[in-house]
Amino acid sequence: MQCLDIRVIVDGKALTATVPVRLLLSDFLREQAGCGGLHVACGHGVCGACTVVLDDVPVRACLLLAVQADGAAVQTIASLPQLEGCEPERGLTPLQQSFRRYHALQCGYCTPGLLVATAKFLAGCPSPDRARILEHLNGHLCRCSGYANIIAAIEAVRA
Amino acid sequence: MKPAPFAYARPRTVLETAGLLAKHTGAARLLAGGQSLVPLLARRLACPVLLVDINRIAGLDAIEVLPDQIRMGALVRQQQALCSEVIRREVAGLAEALAWVANPVIRQRGTVIGNLIANTPGAELTAVALALGARFVLRCAAGEQILAAEELIGPGRSVPAQAMVTHVLWPRRPAQAGFFEVARRDGHAPVVAALVTRTARDCRVALSGLTRTALVCPTMARLIGEGYPRVPSREALAAALTVDLTQTVHTDGACGAQYRLQVAPAVSWRAAQRMSLSRATA
Repeated sequence: MQCLDIRVIVDGKALTATVPVRLLLSDFLREQAGCGGLHVACGHGVCGACTVVLDDVPVRACLLLAVQADGAAVQTIASLPQLEGCEPERGLTPLQQSFRRYHALQCGYCTPGLLVATAKFLAGCPSPDRARILEHLNGHLCRCSGYANIIAAIEAVRA
Repeated sequence: MKPAPFAYARPRTVLETAGLLAKHTGAARLLAGGQSLVPLLARRLACPVLLVDINRIAGLDAIEVLPDQIRMGALVRQQQALCSEVIRREVAGLAEALAWVANPVIRQRGTVIGNLIANTPGAELTAVALALGARFVLRCAAGEQILAAEELIGPGRSVPAQAMVTHVLWPRRPAQAGFFEVARRDGHAPVVAALVTRTARDCRVALSGLTRTALVCPTMARLIGEGYPRVPSREALAAALTVDLTQTVHTDGACGAQYRLQVAPAVSWRAAQRMSLSRATA
């Protein structure tokens, strides 16, 4: 089995690891980089739960090989304060507080990917209208909330 | 680990890639955006012996403006093309179609060329490439070749195993364009999608999803062009479509042939309506 050495910055920490070439980035992050906050659900790019930021671009971690992240910086849910550009208040960022306030999660499985993607989305588009929010949410499956509360939570934090 | 074992190569040049493909004919797959290929690997529906990751080849991520065409490299991402002013102005219809492809996060990584040559039934971009007369630049160990879109993504065609598509060439064609589709769920492959684009000289129409590969519809286009700015009735479009329909209607688990046939004129009508309401980019 072919393995390669990779160097990755994960949530600000530089890591080196030897990984099989067929290891998915999502599995690498959870199993070798200790990113317990990253959730893996469908494993083939449909649900959006494993969304991370790779060199400033939001991507599905399950649709990349770990070797493809060689030399890159990865930000998971643990980097949410950096992604939102503000310090958490009582442990929660503004987006997390809004999700809590509007009950935008129940089981919470889809939430890390949703928060990471939404933080990037709002950074590029601070005052999205409802249509833009719906387009953004198109890439995320949530089986609990019915989306109404997620939409409300995002609408509440937009500029 | 979900994918079956494979060897992994990360070439730095197109030439090196062509060499790898020649050495492993039929057993190697190219990895660009990976938004279609990696799910296939994960489900073991694709089990290549060698995976050739082209993401580190320099220069393939450019959208270049040439005198009579736009040259787009194999690593141009869908979102990059969607946000490009040049594309919006010079390749009318492409940005309109890209807005319907998958979702924003997938488009950040997925490439225009990868989507085109995967040529899945209903793929939006294939209708655009056929309608606009795009051409593909192929590179294999023996040299470079330029093929018309229908030679690569037309009925029964596919990319030769030993070749890499390095660029797509879009004719510069500032025009009005309208795109519309019906899908089972937003962001999924459409049941039927239609592109209508018009300049003062001609009008073009192509449909994705109605047939296995995208269908160019000159009769519908003539009808829409002659009636402009009024949009012909759905009945007139349906009649014109029967003339253009030279291939069997596609059917799959998602949707049967009868519905596709029924919805195609309505989807074309909506696309024509959008085209009529759009302002010319010229």
